[in-house]
Amino acid sequence: MLNKITILFTRRRINIESLTVSETERKGVSRYTIVMKHDKREEVEKLVRQIRKIIEVLAVFGYLDEESVYNEIALFKIATPMHSKKLDIETINKVYKAWVVYWELDYVVIEKAGTEEAILEFFRYIKPHGILEFVRSGRVTVGRTPQGLVEYLPEAEWEYYL
Amino acid sequence: MGNYLNIMAAQDAAAVVELDEKPFLTGAEAMMEALLAEEVDTIFGYPGGAIMPTYDALYGYIDRINHILVRHEQGAGHAAQGYARTSGKVGVCLVTSGPGGTNLITPIADAIIDCTPLVCIVGQVKSFLLGTDAFQETDMIGVTTPVCKWNYQITDPNEVPAIMAKAFYIARSGKPGPVVIDFTRDAQAGLMTEGLNYQKVVELMSYKPRLIPKDEHLQRAAELINNAKKPYIFVGHGVLISGAMEELKAFVEKTDIPCASTLLGLSAMPIDHPNYVGWLGMHGNYGTNVLTTQADVIIAIGMRFDDRVTGDVTKFITQAKVVHIEIDPAEIDKVIKADAPVVGDAKEALKALLPLVKTNNHATWRNEFRKFDVIENEKITQRELTPEGKIKMAEVVHMLSKKTNGEACIVADVGQHQMIAARYYQFKKPHSYIASGGLGTMGFAIPASFGAKMGNPDREVVAIIGDGCFQMTIQELGTIAQSGLAVKMIILNNNFLGMVRQWQQLFFDKRYSFVELQNPDFVTIAKGFGIAGHTCNERETLSESLDRMRAHDGPYLLEVIVEKEENVFPMVPAGAAVADIRLE
Ligand SMILES: Cc1ncc(C[n+]2csc(CCOP(=O)(O)OP(=O)(O)O)c2C)c(N)n1
Repeated sequence: MLNKITILFTRRRINIESLTVSETERKGVSRYTIVMKHDKREEVEKLVRQIRKIIEVLAVFGYLDEESVYNEIALFKIATPMHSKKLDIETINKVYKAWVVYWELDYVVIEKAGTEEAILEFFRYIKPHGILEFVRSGRVTVGRTPQGLVEYLPEAEWEYYL
Repeated sequence: MGNYLNIMAAQDAAAVVELDEKPFLTGAEAMMEALLAEEVDTIFGYPGGAIMPTYDALYGYIDRINHILVRHEQGAGHAAQGYARTSGKVGVCLVTSGPGGTNLITPIADAIIDCTPLVCIVGQVKSFLLGTDAFQETDMIGVTTPVCKWNYQITDPNEVPAIMAKAFYIARSGKPGPVVIDFTRDAQAGLMTEGLNYQKVVELMSYKPRLIPKDEHLQRAAELINNAKKPYIFVGHGVLISGAMEELKAFVEKTDIPCASTLLGLSAMPIDHPNYVGWLGMHGNYGTNVLTTQADVIIAIGMRFDDRVTGDVTKFITQAKVVHIEIDPAEIDKVIKADAPVVGDAKEALKALLPLVKTNNHATWRNEFRKFDVIENEKITQRELTPEGKIKMAEVVHMLSKKTNGEACIVADVGQHQMIAARYYQFKKPHSYIASGGLGTMGFAIPASFGAKMGNPDREVVAIIGDGCFQMTIQELGTIAQSGLAVKMIILNNNFLGMVRQWQQLFFDKRYSFVELQNPDFVTIAKGFGIAGHTCNERETLSESLDRMRAHDGPYLLEVIVEKEENVFPMVPAGAAVADIRLE
């Protein structure tokens, strides 16, 4: 499935900024969140219609940033050797809403969830400590609408996860 | 030793009994049953290792399924396309894994762009070997995904009925297209663990093509049509696919709107209909192209504004409002913005529109097209039909058209001869111009012609082929000979890759880079395959040559030696506006 979707982008030379795939609350139904940059809404709509043509695709929604609620998650592995500058956990927690999720003697792993900008802001803050590894997920998104997924999907005997 | 043989024989006998009594079908047998359930009586194929269990099952069905053994899998694909286009049924191909499958890629790509329903069953290595680079293993799902409507790998015999029902439904419904079934050898040979319960698919959850247009769409379209001063209809392949010929005629006659056809829309409207004004596009007619700039409302039916139709799209019908009747929503606004999109089947849409449109008279507007016809006739047609010098392609097609009363089914290959066939054949019946439009696949015509003949055996099928194209699928002469199909083939031999030569002459300073061919003796080759034929080199014998070809009982090859450096006009140079169409 992934290939069927991504080739529509590559063929049109449209870059995929990020991609997140997970199963939804309905068994057997997966949700792909694909982030792309484009200045022409029409072009994006054309692409949406192409994705809809894939036989297995149940529904496609296109959202602008301001039409959706979205988040990403990032992990920072920070070196904490002896005598290094101490991490200011309080600022990390209270100002940046980031959390230490794992630690060892000489490094810690900090998790930061938020928008791309919030994550980059934290990146700049933590950088002087020495980043050993930085990894950021794609977006997860829901539309700013009162509807649930059920209202978009064709009626069927769905099996739900509890 | 004797004892050993006895034991073996006893075991074999036991195995046979077991086979006879086996309660369930193999995957391959289920496949045959699926074909029967879908009313498939003709398939085109070529055997090989990974599809052998299916060929073995086929052996038990030869009384019900007519299998045509081609000479190259590309031939199977194009034959299935020809078959689908004249029969209105789904064309079916059966080939082996690896090279068998990859040889089928060109027809699959051709079928997706020309909306031809195909089900391609491709063998695959046993499922435990998948991903190991096993002998003749090719990732067919991977390689066909960009060029097919749907594909699926069957690895369990129990999947066969449901998947095949889905495959046929997807291939033929909505905008038709090719479906690829990658069938592992173990799924073919393995036994089902349940009885066969074949149920045709009539609906799918994630794929619901809209047939009946929305009311508001129809209202808006009717309003534009009713208020138009110079409305103009573009007829596409979709009209033929949906079988909307009668509905189109009724619509055209009530509204009195002039209509032109795309290349693949040819023969949807009889050429002698008073509202029919010609064909559109790069080598289309003069008036049909130029007058696109004067129409105030374009009604595009089952066509997709291919760049060979629009020329420079920024200058195409910019003054007009557009009604776009199309079954595929992705086509709406893709190339040309639609003011009134009508998503639905062409037949349903025209039926629903008919009561909403006003009876009208557009005789003055229609007559403007005729003025251009006069110029085109003087500058091009008359010259091309003047019996001077070498025989010209136009003369051959023109004469064929007369002799067959415009009622033959013409299968054209790709190049100058394809354009000349489209230009000079006076189509009277629908489904009479079978050619590779979107992909422009040289080599299409020989296999497509015998497919077309099988799809509609009552029709006279004449293939018009270039000397270059003929050599791309020449081996299919063997298939034609073996099946004895009365296909008539005309080679219009100009000893050049003529269309490319024309471009080199016009746009590359006549630098003829690799376009001249040293051709074989085509008639001798045909004879070698067991197909009769002769060469016509003089105008005086052309008429008699065509008669001889037509009268021959069985397949026939007529080679006509034509003018070497003739060019096809009118012509909209690539990238130019259609109004800048050239007459010389
Ligand atoms: C498979 C393939 N290769 C190359 C081309 C490019 N091409 C288009 S027309 C043409 C020449 C065809 O020559 P011929 O069959 O002799 O026909 P003519 O144009 O002379 O009538 C070529 C090479 C093509 N359309 N398809």
